[in-house]
Amino acid sequence: MNLKVTDIKQYIYCPRIIYFLYICPVSKKTTYKMESGKVEHMVLDKLEERRTLKRYRLAEGERVFHTYLESERIGLQGKLDMHIVVDKQYYPVEYKFTERSASLNHKYQLVSYAMLLEDYYRCTVRNGLLYLVPKNEIIPVEITPNAREFVYEIIDKIRQIIRSERVPERQRKVNKCRDCEYRRFCGDIDIWTKERVDKCIF
Amino acid sequence: MYFLNEIERKMFLKKMLPKARVLDVDDELRGWNWHQPPLAPAYEERLAVYEVSNTYCSTHRDLYVRRVLKTRINPNYFMISGKAFHQIVVSVIEHAKKLIYFHGPTPQGRLTSALRQAFEISWPSEVNMLTEEQKNDLTNKGKCLAEYEQGRILARVEEVLTQQPYIGADALVHLTVPVVCEHKLDGRFLGLSQYLSADAFMMSDPMVMDIKFGSPRKFHRLSTTGYALAMEALYEMPVNLGCICYGEFKNGQLIVNRDMHLIDDELRQWFIESRDEKMRMIYEEIDPGLADDCQETCPAYEECH
Repeated sequence: MNLKVTDIKQYIYCPRIIYFLYICPVSKKTTYKMESGKVEHMVLDKLEERRTLKRYRLAEGERVFHTYLESERIGLQGKLDMHIVVDKQYYPVEYKFTERSASLNHKYQLVSYAMLLEDYYRCTVRNGLLYLVPKNEIIPVEITPNAREFVYEIIDKIRQIIRSERVPERQRKVNKCRDCEYRRFCGDIDIWTKERVDKCIF
Repeated sequence: MYFLNEIERKMFLKKMLPKARVLDVDDELRGWNWHQPPLAPAYEERLAVYEVSNTYCSTHRDLYVRRVLKTRINPNYFMISGKAFHQIVVSVIEHAKKLIYFHGPTPQGRLTSALRQAFEISWPSEVNMLTEEQKNDLTNKGKCLAEYEQGRILARVEEVLTQQPYIGADALVHLTVPVVCEHKLDGRFLGLSQYLSADAFMMSDPMVMDIKFGSPRKFHRLSTTGYALAMEALYEMPVNLGCICYGEFKNGQLIVNRDMHLIDDELRQWFIESRDEKMRMIYEEIDPGLADDCQETCPAYEECH
């Protein structure tokens, strides 16, 4: 079974999300952020078609939107927002609608897409781009051997959670729980008082 | 051990340093953010950097035996020889610095002949635990290492003196031996020991250095990462480069290889994860069980079996 690229992102955000996705599926509440993200994505697609590549610091190249990528070898699949092709060089681009700066989960999501692109085109991808839409900022991300290896390790850890069917420890940043769509299902988290109950309800 | 050769210097200047200058490390993984997760320690245990980084035992039961069962573990040959070699490198460098300060740069002959004199090696007390054969082997290797280190320093001193005739003793020390040995760091911000000791911090090529005698292992890079995080926490400045100096003896000859690396997001996360996992094991007193690939050379082998 292939994992989704978004699983990599979710695992880094909080490993417990993987448990709610695969082991104990719950009817999660779609947050406002997710809804507005979908709409903004569609608007951005339209705009991107008409724009130049100047913001990506590229003189010319071809944009390819929403390519479905899949690799049995890596064990991942996902749909990439956009990638740019310039003379047999490939740059994956991920749109992010965050007001804050890019975080690690965005970085490894992009690295995962870069790895899938490499299998798709049988090439080496050296750089990817994170497009922070609200700030209109492009963040180049180097695709290093260490980063690739890190993605493989995360894939193993996700599979381990699925195999063991045990609730993983939540991440320790309480702020992340505020925006989490699974927050109602975490019995040991009280984000308002920041208290932790020792025993998990599961 | 710490001085790069021509090829390594080229690699350092053309590849590693430019990359380190633009290395984009996530801010939450910088040592100066020690006060918030993920860097903030979740437990009150204090670990040494080698305890976090060492993964010679795949389940870390060696650490459990020492820290939870409180069993005194006798060091094996590799640990004793490693400690001895570390001590030799530090002693030679300190001795050379003392001589430069004592004799001063002029007249040149007096200093260089003092630096050429055979170095008296002092061995750690654990050497007495070894067999005669092992002692002899260690003595030969130690001599070889001391001579190599002395020769390197002498060459650097002579080179600087031929270029800078008006140099003072202090500047000569800093140009020829620009390294702080056993750099002491307080790692408490990160849940590490108060008495951390980085093998070396290079002033001329700003990077954390660590010496290892034995086969290269991936987790060795965690030691430089730990020291880099501790430095960032203490000094509030980025430390992006690490270097592991590997010493190996083949047919009585010292072979030195250096692994220069960027202290990137991945290494930092690996270090934090390893720290948290081991802290939890000690705090909760969780027996991790035996490893599938137990080595008889492991110092905890007898205790585990």
